[in-house]
Amino acid sequence: MKSKITLFATALFCQICASQEIKKDSVEVNNLSEVTVTTGTRTERVLSSLPLPMTIITSKTIMKAGVTRLNEILSEQTGIIMIPDESGFEGIQMQGLDAAYTMILIDGVPLVGRTAGVLDLSRVSVGNIERIEIVKGASSALYGSEAMGGVINVITKKPKEDLFSGSLSYRYATFNTNDANANLLWKKKKFSANLFTNFYSTDGYDLDKSTPLKNVESFYNYTIQPKFYYDFSENLKLTVSNRFYNMKMDNVAIIDSENYKGDAKENEWNSQVKVEHKWNSKFYSEYELYATNYKNDSFLNDSNNVLFEQSYYDQWLLRPEIRTTLSLKNDKITGGVGLNYETLDRTYFDKNVNFNSQYIFLQYDWNPSEKWNVLTGIRYDNHSVYASQLSPKLAVNYKINQNFSLKSSVGYGYKAPDFRQLYFDFTNPSVGYTVLGYNVAEDRLNQFEAQGQLLNRTAGVNFDNPLEAESSINFNFGTFFKKDKLKIDVNAFYNSIQNLIDTRVVAQKTNGQSIFSYFNISEIFTYGLEFNSTYDFTKEFSVSFGYQFLTAKDKSVLDNFEDYQYIRNSDMQTVQISKSDYFGLYNRSKHTANIKFSYTIPKIKTDIYLRIFYRSKYGMFDTNGNQILDKYDTFVSDYFLANFSVSKNIGENFMLQAGANNLLDYTDPSQISNLSGRQLFARIQYNF
Amino acid sequence: MKTKFLKLSLLALFIFTASCSSDDDKNEIPAVVTTKVSNLEAPQTGGQGQPVGGPFTKFSFSENKVVTDNNWDIAFRGTTIIVNGGAKIGITDEPERTGTGAVSIVSGTFASVTAFPAATTFAQDGNATYAFPTSGANAWYDYNATTHIISAKAGKVFVVKTHDGKYAKVELLSYYKDAPATPDATSASRFYTFNFAYQANSTTTF
Repeated sequence: MKSKITLFATALFCQICASQEIKKDSVEVNNLSEVTVTTGTRTERVLSSLPLPMTIITSKTIMKAGVTRLNEILSEQTGIIMIPDESGFEGIQMQGLDAAYTMILIDGVPLVGRTAGVLDLSRVSVGNIERIEIVKGASSALYGSEAMGGVINVITKKPKEDLFSGSLSYRYATFNTNDANANLLWKKKKFSANLFTNFYSTDGYDLDKSTPLKNVESFYNYTIQPKFYYDFSENLKLTVSNRFYNMKMDNVAIIDSENYKGDAKENEWNSQVKVEHKWNSKFYSEYELYATNYKNDSFLNDSNNVLFEQSYYDQWLLRPEIRTTLSLKNDKITGGVGLNYETLDRTYFDKNVNFNSQYIFLQYDWNPSEKWNVLTGIRYDNHSVYASQLSPKLAVNYKINQNFSLKSSVGYGYKAPDFRQLYFDFTNPSVGYTVLGYNVAEDRLNQFEAQGQLLNRTAGVNFDNPLEAESSINFNFGTFFKKDKLKIDVNAFYNSIQNLIDTRVVAQKTNGQSIFSYFNISEIFTYGLEFNSTYDFTKEFSVSFGYQFLTAKDKSVLDNFEDYQYIRNSDMQTVQISKSDYFGLYNRSKHTANIKFSYTIPKIKTDIYLRIFYRSKYGMFDTNGNQILDKYDTFVSDYFLANFSVSKNIGENFMLQAGANNLLDYTDPSQISNLSGRQLFARIQYNF
Repeated sequence: MKTKFLKLSLLALFIFTASCSSDDDKNEIPAVVTTKVSNLEAPQTGGQGQPVGGPFTKFSFSENKVVTDNNWDIAFRGTTIIVNGGAKIGITDEPERTGTGAVSIVSGTFASVTAFPAATTFAQDGNATYAFPTSGANAWYDYNATTHIISAKAGKVFVVKTHDGKYAKVELLSYYKDAPATPDATSASRFYTFNFAYQANSTTTF
């Protein structure tokens, strides 16, 4: 392990050395056109002057990496960690915030279906992605609820020229994993169309063969994404895009040493109709209607093929939105208004529930001088169930010179209580405990009492005031440096989160089990530093290095440390620890880093791409009896992962690719369930 | 277990003789001995949706053993602990309170608790009230709803006034047979392991 760290450090050092050398050599001119992005402001903006911390993943990078699903490519980015939460679902952690706090968009509109708070990102194929834009930090001023830790926007490819083009590809990998893509793009004058289809299947994997259950059971899914574009004129354009996704997975369970088998199905449908209207050189409007439905159904049969358990989840979102941008000389004012109509019908809900909300937002993108950019925004959300929210944001960019700029932002983020936290009504069939949503808890407790199932209620618990939205204040301060062959991006962040929703015991049942409900309980904070650098040694060889330092702690633990200061040592004796021994929140690593080597051999049209990732130790739960994670707890050890791919172009149209994900074959079966062993792959692609 | 008991008895005898021999010196009270009780079985009937019942396992600190007579100080059944003082709580198969027992809860390491807590901090069992709380900050255990593991809280020392007015301090260590460091779903439960120190002398410290 030590030697690997040394290697890492050496590589970084080399990079810095090289960057110093280059100052003497400033002959080469960088002709790269500026990258434009849309997620940060909802208007086209040049990335380098954007006052927000942002990461871009290009289609070229995705292609080069040889990965197929959204979660795989995201996990290769600095400051983005894909981790399973307590419930075992893999989600995204950004700036130390859990997966429930990152909004996921496809072409600017959100994915739904957070069955247990987390979106499964493996359901998004990367086969037709143009680029992925990631905005870090609270973005509720533009996007409302959920965008508390940040926003990830997946932007799909669009036909640009008048011709018929496309690509076909097939990839085979370990665990009998198949991924087949067809992406067809067609354009003729005013009309263009794009059809993307993807089929994916895998046998899943099993890290511990001694148990009858696999970590991932076998499944298959397909995606069909037809899109149509019609340009009535230069100034009036229509887009109709659709996405259908279908997944079927083996559902296997062992309950009280009995075997159960069944299926789990997922169906998703997204439809977006958008009209872009350029009134004149100053006014530009977008009218958008978005509808989506996410549905899953699963069942388990016992060994006699008799239905044992069935569950379903059916969520709808309908969102019309209008945005208008007024372009003044150097400034832009963007305003938007829209509404959300959301319904959910699922197992463990008494009835179909729905949310209604209306929102309005305004943004002023102000460029008082060449050097300054000031971005201010505010959004107001009025909601049918929880208190309305006002989310402001202010961000400033200052260009010191051509190469170097400073940026800083402060913003408010929030996440509304979700359907589950308000309406859940679940009693565990084998153990007998109950979890109740906040809005149904009082009535259900009264029912339990009337039925004589209640022993006592926890003193002081009442449901008089509505459950409040979780909210955060987010600060970022960063620099952006680009000169010649070197690019450095540094950002320090701080998030203070209030009213975090957690479960608490509200009553004891006569069966000895507890009834839980959701409350605004804790206050946490996260802070850290993200560093990204890329250095192009030559046109053919470039190295990038990324690092994140993170601290995430619970404020109430620090304030009331006396309640947590005793632990049990290995001899079961009580020992006192000090405040400085508190490690922080579960599932957070202090250090994560990556280094990526990209090498092109033009002669043989070959690209070699090697990525190494490091994650320092983290704790999953308290192991010594004080309910918090302290340095004497048992930790998941730190580890390195490596992904490797080689791509070779043959002629104009063919590409062959081979590689390995998790090249070093690192696994930790008992602690890390989402890390399969080494996965070798080969791919063939035909472009036309 | 037996040899341990023998050793402890010898130790107790030694302390007893030692304290006899130093009778003249009235200022010196010998330090209490910490005794570990392992695998004290506390079965219950019912549970998991059924009414809980069955006799309590009664323990005497002065005798350092399970007793069946009225000389018990605290008694166990499942996760419930009762004290021999006050009145019946109102649960099934509960023994009569015949003594003057009470409980005071102190935070700290076992060794750090040396002074008897103030008399006002002691609580007795009573109608629907437990001297050993079953939930909240002073419950002796934490229950993990995901793993269903009962873990004894660290740093909770229960100072028990015995049925006959003496004092003992108790720290509960484990609810599982042979006190595994990380119990799992297969560990046999309702087997208490705890440390206690009994002060037989009339004094105010352990």
